[in-house]
Amino acid sequence: MTGLVKAELRKFFSTRLWWIMLLVVLAWTGLGLSLSIALAGMEGQPARDTVEFQQMAWIYGGGTSSFTMILGIVMMTSEYRHRTFNSTFLVTPVRGRVIVAKLVTGLLVGLLFGAAVMTLTAAAVIPATLTAGGEFSPFANEIPRMTAGVVAAITLYVLLGIGLGALIRNQVGAIMTGIVWTFLLETIVVSVPGLQEFGKWTPGGVTTALYDTGADFGFGAAEVLPMGTAVALLTGYALLFSLIASFTTVRRDLV
Amino acid sequence: MTTAIEITDLRKSFGGVPAVDGVSLTVQAGTITGYLGPNGAGKTTTLRCLLGLVAPDSGTCLVNGRRYADLPKPITEVGAVLEATGFHPSRSARDHLAIMCAAAGLPRARVDEALGEVGLAHAANKRVGGFSLGMRQRLALAGALLGRPKILILDEPANGLDPAGIEWLRGFLRHWAHELGAAVLVSSHVLAEVEQTVDNAIIIAGGRLVRHGSIADLTRGEQQIRIRALGDFRPVLEGAGARVTEGPDGVLRVKGMSIDEVGRLALNSRVVLTEISEERYDLHRVFLDLTDARTEGAHS
Ligand SMILES: Nc1ncnc2c1ncn2[C@@H]1O[C@H](COP(=O)(O)OP(=O)(O)O)[C@@H](O)[C@H]1O
Ligand SMILES: [Mg+2]
Repeated sequence: MTGLVKAELRKFFSTRLWWIMLLVVLAWTGLGLSLSIALAGMEGQPARDTVEFQQMAWIYGGGTSSFTMILGIVMMTSEYRHRTFNSTFLVTPVRGRVIVAKLVTGLLVGLLFGAAVMTLTAAAVIPATLTAGGEFSPFANEIPRMTAGVVAAITLYVLLGIGLGALIRNQVGAIMTGIVWTFLLETIVVSVPGLQEFGKWTPGGVTTALYDTGADFGFGAAEVLPMGTAVALLTGYALLFSLIASFTTVRRDLV
Repeated sequence: MTTAIEITDLRKSFGGVPAVDGVSLTVQAGTITGYLGPNGAGKTTTLRCLLGLVAPDSGTCLVNGRRYADLPKPITEVGAVLEATGFHPSRSARDHLAIMCAAAGLPRARVDEALGEVGLAHAANKRVGGFSLGMRQRLALAGALLGRPKILILDEPANGLDPAGIEWLRGFLRHWAHELGAAVLVSSHVLAEVEQTVDNAIIIAGGRLVRHGSIADLTRGEQQIRIRALGDFRPVLEGAGARVTEGPDGVLRVKGMSIDEVGRLALNSRVVLTEISEERYDLHRVFLDLTDARTEGAHS
């Protein structure tokens, strides 16, 4: 399995995908952080020396999980799109092993992306806080929990993407499904009265639970699942998709 | 001799239409077998079943006595060249092979060795997206050689190669089979590409075996003369003791007479011949007939 993971890592780092996606994820985070720093202290926005500002800005990178889901989808579906499944499954005919190796690789890649996002976040938020005369401690104000939550969201969405990609195989189809699932479902549940109480179970709701601090940003504190439940739920989705795929789509004839 | 490849009564349909319809074949170590047939004959489907990429409806496919998926380290026993499209365009040739090596637990040194063996060392770091079809075929071949297998399975490997490339491939396959003792199964829809290279030929059409045997036996087939004549030449030929068959297009095929005898007979009986040629190879005719039948089928 070590060899297979090495092979998957090499697949990942030998095309342009990884650095393009890393740039996208960092740009998204950087843009959001710049805005929240620029707008801090204005009408209705917490000032830079407040704990609220720190907490709001610290989880901003969690929003990049939609991109890392696409990353996972592409990691899986490019085997079909470019027909590299030929050499992949000739070397490793037991196809489930390839899926497991991809999930392990997705975990490593997700942690790497999460670390990059949190490094950028720290590099923006800490100076912004300190220069405004605020105080920053890496172990206070739920910073460790939020850090873990953002990294978990980014990582688990890579796995979710891999599972979705294995299930759907068609790259465009899988990306569309992922987007509809994470965005549209969200919007519907939030906007239809009567469904709103299920909001905490939607992908977005679960993701929020990963790094929610119970802080109230003016909309009322969201009702969320416990963090452990959220991690288990997202991991469960990713593994369930991968498992179903391993017994269905992945087994199909490769013609 | 060891039976390297053994297919028994293989059947595979797509959407109820048979692609391979009861094919059995064996390939021995140290020999090259041509798997020949027109486009759509079922060659690729057979080879993909053999390699575990397509699940047969029935029948068995064994390499070294086992199913491909049951081989502990498949690419050290079987090397396969499937199609020249299975590469990520933005990945380099070296990375493509290094990935295979890592997954198979082979030493990294094999990557550059294999690139050298197929004449691609100069393009090792180039993206495959910029490769010509011929270069992709060579890269596919390098992938097949990584594990130094004793069985090579190649699906139309000459596609996209220039004449020099095809000549190189021939020498290459001969070397692997006849000097290194590998069993080679190579498919083609162009008989001329492989007939000088293969020891045995298997001809398939419409998913069924049409003919098989050593190339010597298949090409020895009784010599016949193909002619077109103005006027009715057939009774004259038959009167002289020849056996004649007439094609729908007016072509006469004459057996039991040499080309000189046919020519002299035409002169003596004052018949104008518009065409006369020796059909040396039974194999060629079988192959052409198959291709013709397919084209006619497509027109009707
Ligand atoms: N995925 C598929 N779906 C439907 N029909 C297929 C598929 N693959 C092959 N076929 C059909 O099976 C037959 C054999 O195809 P193939 O094995 O590719 O032949 P060859 O390699 O000899 O050209 C053809 O009629 C082809 O159209
Ligand atoms: Mg084919």
